[in-house]
Amino acid sequence: MDAIVTESLTKRYGQRAAVDALALNVPAGSIFGLLGPNGAGKTTTIAMLLALVRPTAGRAIVLGHDVQREPARALAGVGAMIEGPAFYPYLSGRDNLRALALAEGLPPARVDAVLAEVELADRAQDRYRTYSQGMRQRLGIAAALLRAPQLIILDEPTNGLDPAGQIEIQQLIRTLAASGRTILLSSHLLHDVEQLCDRVAILKGGRLLASGPIAALLQRGNGVLVRVAGDAALAERAAALLRGIPWVVGVAPQAGGLLVDAPAERAADLSLALAAQGIGVAELRAQHTSLEEVFLQLTGDDRRPTTDT
Amino acid sequence: MLNLIRAEWFRLARRPLVWVLLALLLVLFVVLRLTEFMVVALHDGIFTQGEARLALLSEAQVQQFRLQLTLPGIFGAALGHVNSVGGLLAIVLAAGALGSEYSWGTLRAQLARQPSRARFLLAKLAAVALALIAGIALVLALAAVLGLALGAVLGVRGSFGLATLLALPVGMARALLVMLPYVMMTVVGAIIGRSALAGAAGGFLFLLLDVGLGALSALGQLSSVLKLLVNLLVQPNINALVVQNSRSFGLDPAVVTPALDLTLLPGPVQAVLVVLAWSALFGWYAYAALARRDVGGAA
Repeated sequence: MDAIVTESLTKRYGQRAAVDALALNVPAGSIFGLLGPNGAGKTTTIAMLLALVRPTAGRAIVLGHDVQREPARALAGVGAMIEGPAFYPYLSGRDNLRALALAEGLPPARVDAVLAEVELADRAQDRYRTYSQGMRQRLGIAAALLRAPQLIILDEPTNGLDPAGQIEIQQLIRTLAASGRTILLSSHLLHDVEQLCDRVAILKGGRLLASGPIAALLQRGNGVLVRVAGDAALAERAAALLRGIPWVVGVAPQAGGLLVDAPAERAADLSLALAAQGIGVAELRAQHTSLEEVFLQLTGDDRRPTTDT
Repeated sequence: MLNLIRAEWFRLARRPLVWVLLALLLVLFVVLRLTEFMVVALHDGIFTQGEARLALLSEAQVQQFRLQLTLPGIFGAALGHVNSVGGLLAIVLAAGALGSEYSWGTLRAQLARQPSRARFLLAKLAAVALALIAGIALVLALAAVLGLALGAVLGVRGSFGLATLLALPVGMARALLVMLPYVMMTVVGAIIGRSALAGAAGGFLFLLLDVGLGALSALGQLSSVLKLLVNLLVQPNINALVVQNSRSFGLDPAVVTPALDLTLLPGPVQAVLVVLAWSALFGWYAYAALARRDVGGAA
């Protein structure tokens, strides 16, 4: 079963589409990353999932309920933090959560439980305005956990944190994921997503560019990089030859050589095939793509060099 | 719904702004009553054992002040204070209660947990109303203490019978009703402007406009049709409710404010209905604005 399904979900502001016919499926129990550069439509998508923003077209189904038609039912099992943590600055961390618990008829013990879960119990009596950014993010996650949700939606949970704070939040999310909850995580920090998520969707300009398991996305850029010892004409001959090999899926020019979409363990066979035709190989190495490279390739941002291993 | 109101009350009761406003309301009440007391004391020569007297006002006006300073008239003065100074403070309270939700980002956090905007708004208004009722009750309690003390100094033996006791809750309800349209317009301002400042601006602008339109009451002297139309505005009906509150406790506002032509004011039932109708209209508009607007996402 999918925890979240969106069908042609669209949000337009005048002529500009913030989210354009988005079709997403977030399987229950997964940690799903919503990736995209700033302005990609991640927050607007989440706002539509939380009934904060009304879609121009399409629909969103959360935990089996249409968000527009049955918002209370759809969101009953959802804990969310959108556009950063937001609390009353004059209240303590505990009182902020107590107010939320009161509104939902939850027992006070639940407040202490979530404060302990995010390791904020020691500073729970302090006013929210005195909290560091990391503590604010943790309180935001505590609020999301308060009603023991099936689905947790976190919008940029590591935003504004120093590296130590980012690691803290990552560990917290890992702990939450271990409890079997579905987590939708929006971020533009690709490393975070690669570390935490098992599936991702990549957005740009409100459109879905790719979606699926991270392993499958990474497979796109994996292969063997071959650099032939000779001129461009020889490289073209080599490419044609390699394309003729049945187990080679594809050949594309990359980084001054040829990226051969083939299993890395058959690199030696590629070398032998080229040598048999009198084509010398100057360099041959397995290439593993990071999520960052896939992301930059998909979003058309080619500012960063690829890294080989 | 009750849980939501409890949560709103929990937040509001812990907010420093609320306590500052309450302190202002009570302190100003005491200051104004003591000022009136000084006028009466100078007139009566209390400080000089009757040897020197200072006649600033007519005897009738001073007598009105005496009534306003002692039981039960001081309750009328207290409710008048609630509807003048308290009304201004109520605008600040309502603007802070709703407008700050935008500036702190807590609106989106709350609506993401509880998506019914009608329930959110009702809970917020209920908490503000509870705060106003608590404020009115405290002013009345202070008035009782002050009335007893000043009565003793002025040598006026006040009364506090069953009639006064029964008049108090009715007076509180009227005082609350008088503040309602301004609170509602403040809420409209806060929602449209998405800030406490916009809310306060909305409330105060409406107050200014309303008081300005109140000057049209004089047109009622020209014809009965004009009187009927003018009395459909908020201000004449507010005035009618305030005057009723004064009279309930033995005061006569026409003595202190001769410019007010009480014969032009609408009747008590019409006053309640018209003020309720305007408040409902503003409340509906506030809800409609809140319901149709997106919260968060791209601008």
